[in-house]
Parts: sequence; C-alpha cells; structure tokens
Amino acid sequence: MKKLTNKLLDWLNAEDQSVFDDAMELKMQEPKEEKEETVQQRMRDRLHIKDEVYSEGESKEVKVLRIIYRILAIILCGFIAYNLLIAVSWLPRTGEFDKPVNNEVSARYIEKGLQETGAVNIVTGMILDYRAFDTFGESNVLNIATITVLILLRRNKKKLPNEIEEKENDRLLEPKNDVILQKAATFLVPAIFLFGIYVILNGHLSPGGGFSGGAIIGAGLILYVSAFGFEKTEKFFTEKTQKVISLSALLFYCLAKSYSFFTGANELESHIPLGKAGAILSSGLILPLNICVGLVVAVTMYTFYCMFRKGEF
Amino acid sequence: MTGLELIRFILGCVFLGIGIITYAIEIIGVFKQKVALNRMHAAGMGDTLGLSSSLIGLMILSGLNLNTVKMIFIIVFLWFTSPVCTHLLAQLEVTTDEEFDSYCEDKTK
Repeated sequence: MKKLTNKLLDWLNAEDQSVFDDAMELKMQEPKEEKEETVQQRMRDRLHIKDEVYSEGESKEVKVLRIIYRILAIILCGFIAYNLLIAVSWLPRTGEFDKPVNNEVSARYIEKGLQETGAVNIVTGMILDYRAFDTFGESNVLNIATITVLILLRRNKKKLPNEIEEKENDRLLEPKNDVILQKAATFLVPAIFLFGIYVILNGHLSPGGGFSGGAIIGAGLILYVSAFGFEKTEKFFTEKTQKVISLSALLFYCLAKSYSFFTGANELESHIPLGKAGAILSSGLILPLNICVGLVVAVTMYTFYCMFRKGEF
Repeated sequence: MTGLELIRFILGCVFLGIGIITYAIEIIGVFKQKVALNRMHAAGMGDTLGLSSSLIGLMILSGLNLNTVKMIFIIVFLWFTSPVCTHLLAQLEVTTDEEFDSYCEDKTK
C-alpha cells in the first residue's frame, strides 16, 4: 500500500522516470530556421498577389466601391448630425421651471449643503457626503481594475535564463538615464507632488478633490520612474505598499462612512464636528475620505504604468 | 473706455492673434509634413511660442490679479515640460526609425 502511494506521489510530482522507459529524450523545440532566399521569395509572392492577382490599385470595381463608400459615409455622418441637432432643439429651455432636472433634491443640495456637510465646494459635499457610497463604489472599481491588471500582466518571479537577455533586448531602445529629463524631473517632481497634495487637502474648499489630486500625484510618480528608473522607486514602492495602501484606504472609507450613515439614519448624534466652514480642518469626514480616494487613485495609476511597462514593480 | 484701457485691449488682442496664428501654422505643419521630426518641429513651435503669446495676451487683458500669477506659473511649467518631452520623443524616433538615414540625405545634389 505504502509503495503504491509513494508511486502515485512520484507520478504526481513527475519524479517517476519509469514512464519514459523508452529513453525518449525530452528536448525543447528548436526555432524554425529559414533561408534568406525563401524569405525573399515569400515577400515577392505577397507583392505579386497584391499587385497582379487582385490588382487592388487599378481595379475598376474597387474604385467604384471606394466612391460609394465615401458617399455613404458622408450621408451617415449628415444623418447622425441632423438627428443630434433635432434632439438638441427638443431639450427644455435653459431656466425653465418645469423641467425634470429641477426637483427638490438639487434644491436641497444647494440650499442646505453647506449647513449639513460643512463643505464650501458643493460638489465635494455631494459626492463625499450625500452620495458617499457611490464614490466608494468608484474607488472599488479602481481597485478591481488594478487587481485585474495585476492578474493579467504580472510576470512570474521565477526568471528563466533566456529572459534576462530578452529584457535587455526589449528595453535597449529606451533612453535610459537621460540627463535633460533627470534635471527637469528634480525640479518638477516635488512641485507636482506639492500641487497634488494641495488639490487633495483643499477638496472641500476649492475645485479639486481626491480623484484629480490622486491623478496628479500618480503622474508625478510616473515622471519620477521614467527619469530615474525602477531601482529608485523599488525602495519605497513595492507590491506590498500597493496592497497596504489601497486596502487600508478602502477599509477606512467603508468603516467611517458606515458609521456616519448608521448614525444619520437612526437619528443619533455622530460626534464628528463639522467645524467652521472655510477652514482646512472642517466639514467632518470629507477631508479624510478625500485623502483615502486620492491614495487609491495615485496607487492605481502608478500600478497600471508599472504593469504595462515592465510587468512588476 | 479711456485711452489707456483701449491701448491695453488692443495690445492683448495683438498677442492673442499672434498666438492663434502660431497655432494655425502648427496644425498645418503637423498635417502637411511627412517625416516625424519635421512634424515634431511644428508641434514644438506651437507648444512654446503659441502658448506663451496667447497666455501673455490673456494676462494683459485680465490685469494684475491672482489669475495672472497662475498664468505665469502655467507658462513656467509648460516651458519646463514640453521641450523635455519633445527632446525625448525625437531621441526615441532617431533610435528606432530604421529608415532615418534616408531622410537626412541632401536631395538637392
């Protein structure tokens, strides 16, 4: 019995060599070799087929079809443009009272938004207070997109001996350590980071917020990578950093907003002070939620860039 | 409209016009030229001269306030970035284009 299980395990682990008793040697398939002449012959054949058999350039039918295609394309474009213009003319006029957009919801946002959320910027008050779960869903969509890209594009950690060569060849043409780019990046990257942090922290006071600020910070990270290479960014941004940042930001968002919605729905006191409108530390949960969204967006952008360029961080 | 304001308005319009003409030349060049480096030359011209002159026109029109300072920052930022970008693109074009030498021949001989 024991022998049988051992044999089975050996077979599963592919250590049992008795299967290949016929001493059949397993060999890698060699790349197909072609003579120079056959390649040239093939190219000539292709040109010959294109020019003489089908005679694409000179055939009368092709010319007629091309003219018909152009006329049909113009008619289709005109038709679509006409329909769109007609639809625009049927829209309700600007400022009309009865149109469906004018309901009590937007009126309440405008009238009581500052009072209830404490955010001077009404848009931020809307997307991070009244409709916070919608924004939470958007952040989760970004995280799921990151996970999908990681599944599809991340390379195996086990390196084949050929692969090192391949990597060298693949990135041979890339301008590495470009002095002009590095000098520009030393001035630009801190400025871009500062501007992104400013946009995120001022999300409830001025136009901006988590999404745009996070995109700016992600762009700064991408500039840094393309100027100084992956050796510098590996020191502070690895796969673990991505996991920790996005998961903790999303979890904090979920918990904080669940608490806020729970107390709001049951008419309990939420103990989160709204503060004085217009100050940086005001409007309750909106500032931390903005920071969470910004972190998720920045990490997502940087991860996309790394995956598409190199396949690892 | 007093005399000084009129002069300011005309000056701003002249700068805006220079910017718009530069952009028009840039777009014609981008679509007319066949070689990538020539197209890049046209685009780079619009990126620097067209942008700066149209923004200077807007600055003169808006007067001295916070928006003017923001426009100055925009000019500084874009004058930093777009030449670097053009340089990198041109270098990549030179290294990757296999027929590059044929473009550089003197065809008048």
